[in-house]
Amino acid sequence: MVFDEAFDVIVIGGGHAGCEAASAAARLGANTALVTLNLDLIGQMSCNPAIGGIAKGHLVREIDALGGIMGRVADRTGIQFRLLNRSRGPAVQSPRAQVDRSLYRAEMRKMLEHTDNLHFRQGMVVELLVRNRTIFGVEMQDGRRIAAKAVVVAAGTFLNGLVHTGQRTYAAGRAGEPASIELAESLKKLGFPVGRLKTGTPPRLDGRTIDWSAFQPQEADELPVTFSFSTDKIEQQQIRCYVGYTNQHLHETIRANLSSSPLYSGQITGIGPRYCPSIEDKVVKFADKDRHQLFLEPEGHNTNEVYLNGFSTSLPAELQQGLVRMIPGLEEARIIRPGYAIEYDFVNPTELGPDLQCHRTAGLFHAGQVNGTTGYEEAACQGLVAGINAAAMVNGRPSFRLKREESYIGVLVDDLISQGVDEPYRVFTSRAECRLALRHDNADERLRGYGRMVGLVGDGDWERFNQKQNRIAVVKACLKSTRLKKTDAGYLAATEIAGSQLGESINLEALAKRPGVRSEMIMRLLPFETRKAVNMCELEAALADNLYVGYIRIQNGVVQRLKHHDSVPIPAGLDFRTLNGLSHEMVERLERSRPRTFGEARKVRGVTASALSTLYVAANLQG
Amino acid sequence: MNTIVAVATSPGRSAIGIVRLSGPESLEILRGLVNDHSFTPEPKHVTLRQIVRETGEPLDSALVCYFAGPQSFTGEDMVEVSCHGSPVILRRVLDFTQSLGARLAGPGEFTLRACRNGKLNLSQAEAIRDLINAQTDAAVLQATRQLKGELSAALQPAKERLIRIIVRLESALEFVEDDLPEIQSEEIRTTFAEIAAIVDALVTSFSTGRALREGVKVAIAGRPNVGKSSLFNKLVKSNRAIVTEIAGTTRDSISESISLGGIPVQVTDTAGLRIARDKVEKMGIERTHQAMAESDLIVAVVDGSTSFGNEDLVMVHHVTQGRHVVAINKCDLGEDADVAQYLDQTMRVVRTSALTGEGLEELTAAILEPFGAVDSETVGLLITDSRHYDLLRRTQASLSHSAELFGSGGSEEIVLVGLHGALQFLGEITGETSTDEILGEIFSTFCIGK
Repeated sequence: MVFDEAFDVIVIGGGHAGCEAASAAARLGANTALVTLNLDLIGQMSCNPAIGGIAKGHLVREIDALGGIMGRVADRTGIQFRLLNRSRGPAVQSPRAQVDRSLYRAEMRKMLEHTDNLHFRQGMVVELLVRNRTIFGVEMQDGRRIAAKAVVVAAGTFLNGLVHTGQRTYAAGRAGEPASIELAESLKKLGFPVGRLKTGTPPRLDGRTIDWSAFQPQEADELPVTFSFSTDKIEQQQIRCYVGYTNQHLHETIRANLSSSPLYSGQITGIGPRYCPSIEDKVVKFADKDRHQLFLEPEGHNTNEVYLNGFSTSLPAELQQGLVRMIPGLEEARIIRPGYAIEYDFVNPTELGPDLQCHRTAGLFHAGQVNGTTGYEEAACQGLVAGINAAAMVNGRPSFRLKREESYIGVLVDDLISQGVDEPYRVFTSRAECRLALRHDNADERLRGYGRMVGLVGDGDWERFNQKQNRIAVVKACLKSTRLKKTDAGYLAATEIAGSQLGESINLEALAKRPGVRSEMIMRLLPFETRKAVNMCELEAALADNLYVGYIRIQNGVVQRLKHHDSVPIPAGLDFRTLNGLSHEMVERLERSRPRTFGEARKVRGVTASALSTLYVAANLQG
Repeated sequence: MNTIVAVATSPGRSAIGIVRLSGPESLEILRGLVNDHSFTPEPKHVTLRQIVRETGEPLDSALVCYFAGPQSFTGEDMVEVSCHGSPVILRRVLDFTQSLGARLAGPGEFTLRACRNGKLNLSQAEAIRDLINAQTDAAVLQATRQLKGELSAALQPAKERLIRIIVRLESALEFVEDDLPEIQSEEIRTTFAEIAAIVDALVTSFSTGRALREGVKVAIAGRPNVGKSSLFNKLVKSNRAIVTEIAGTTRDSISESISLGGIPVQVTDTAGLRIARDKVEKMGIERTHQAMAESDLIVAVVDGSTSFGNEDLVMVHHVTQGRHVVAINKCDLGEDADVAQYLDQTMRVVRTSALTGEGLEELTAAILEPFGAVDSETVGLLITDSRHYDLLRRTQASLSHSAELFGSGGSEEIVLVGLHGALQFLGEITGETSTDEILGEIFSTFCIGK
């Protein structure tokens, strides 16, 4: 076969998964092509202009710790930083930022363009070239053939995408962009099990037509918590977002028009995310709620476009304007882009190994929405894992994987490949058994070493990390050795805050564990030298380690207990069909994932408790 | 799947012995056994047939019954052959069925097949094991209740409430930007208390449950000639032990199993404690000490009509360290004035007369007291399995820790550590709850999503 060009790695798609994959592979020395439909839309945020949030913020910090790029780009383009769950414990706090959509694209493109070994190619891949179950290149719509040793598919919602607004449908990857239909066909031809998912997006409004005074402003944090461990300062000017509410009148009108929603007419068959319901779903499924919360999120510094978060809809475009105007403060509002729903193909990720390489086809990796996930952060971390492993394959290095116990990325990848997906998968902190140990602020402590080992963390960042760890160690020692005595100036104030007796003296480590005691107070009580040497984040990291020690032990006990049962082997020859107590569906699910142990069976999505009980008995009695 | 065969009745001679077959070849093998290849019995009907040897000569006449799967214990085709209970006949039948294509079943294989075919779940299988081993009516009743899934059902309300709290706290953590209703602390505290009440009641029932399942060992001990053997005979309602007025008549320990108020009790009469006069008595007394050490409860017998001797004092002091009843026997002869001074508040004392039967009911009640009162007809569901007990104790500990943390304003993520632990422990009894089920519960309870 004749090729026009040859690369080590081809990445299909320039979204969040594609960008990380291409950047990682190229920086690890693989000659890499990023093939995308439109170079001007690299790093596009298809949905809300925000990055992070609970658990998602953890992912971004983990990506950064490993040497990925999402955090750096978001820090440079974020226009409203907020640390969520500030009132709760450090393990469940998470950074989030509104991001300037067009700046993010520009910054991402700039960063990729400055990466050695990385080459952009505009065009549409229509076929994956496979011989002897091994990928060797791709074919483009315009006839070009590009050879590669590894290919990362990161095509997002473009795979056989179908946009719905009301009864109207058209093939598209995003509104106004072509769908990638042949690529989806190519995957099916290779034998991949392809399913259908759905997601949606709300209308975007013209900011000049909004009565902002009708909404409650939501301020950025005074001291922004960054995504990247390498960022010193947030430079972007910070903006406000606004919170408002729907009302009963609007709900009734939506309910009266349900027949024209493709979600309710049966026109959409793909499964949507339950944690991101459309406004139609909200007013139907939670009919007793008299109002639903909405967020007005400005899309950037240099645009009037405003994202109406919470109002995702697939109702006909011509109806949307009238509905939006029923919201107090939006009486005059004009829609710039209508909301829509989109259905797309995904490949069940049980097809993948922990390196995100397909069992079926050597050298072929899947990352992002193609694996049934939703969210930029979920996509990006898969892109990073796929990019690292594509380069590792090319360079003849061992594959890279993360464990559930050490990272949210490990949890996500493990969930995907062991359970598969039947609705869009989003990360939650409750998915991590070791939640208390996986904090956003210690992502570097957990993963920087891996990033260094793989080769994505440069000397500067590595040095910076080691210095930080040293300072944290110093603070920890200082927390133990510094005692607050009855005669000290701060003692009385500390007693008042702690609300209990502190005795003759108490060390700062113990004091910090008392309810109500905040890190600011501990900082004030540290010796001057130490106080000067560390910053608040470092102190908080030191305190958090200390705070959770006992609970982490309990948590690990529970995890260990699970593991004990999990190690019960399921006989290799066990024919699930002979377990007549299992429904046809259970047998299918088990056969598809072929669990080798009870633990693997337990993780198979949709397998019921009674089915597991039957399986457990069978496994135990046979074993 | 091949066809398995086993003798279903206990080994040894008996009036009837049952051979059981399970698997697709069952009916075909039965046809060979009755030497009639057109034999088509109506399922679940008993037929009297002549069964034959491999040579075709008659072996025995037997009641045969065919069960067509899935309407059978294992869910497969099954056959039961009730022969006369001679080990020789049963051996022949087993041999013949094997030459007809069956193979000998492994231990528990019939139950395994029942589980595999969805006829039983894990806790029901455990109940079957208990049912087979049950020694008294009350134990049978408890195993039957568990077989019906009552334990899972009894825990269901606790589990539902636990999930309700988890859902509430998890959603507060995960969906901080959503417009969720405030956490109602009072409501959650009440829910905690409700769960604890359910779990506590079951935990408390274990001492009775275990006594029911495993039985209780009671040793009757005391100085020679205080009436131990007479009391023993009264308790076991037979003249099992030889009784004479000669001190030291009982030379060896003897045991008898009885049912006291539904609890299987093994009562052991022992040789009287004193300085041994010969080798046989010395060995007997050693056995007495052994029986005492192995017992769950000791009935210390003293002669109330005479003053306490040193041996009495030593023994009473010794037994009152553990579960005990002090029986002041021979109360028909009147009580010595000094006896009262030896007794104190910490002793469980009963006055008995083995001769008249006085105080025996009270003695029975005192023996049962530490194991919980059991009335085989009216008692509620009991925990009989130590695995279940262990899991419920862990649940209890996890929950109370979490409740305390919640009460003192601990952040949700640490309160949840114990809640998830408790849910996992309960799940090991009732079946597991996955993260996805909890997330599903969150999404159907609250409207989540910007």
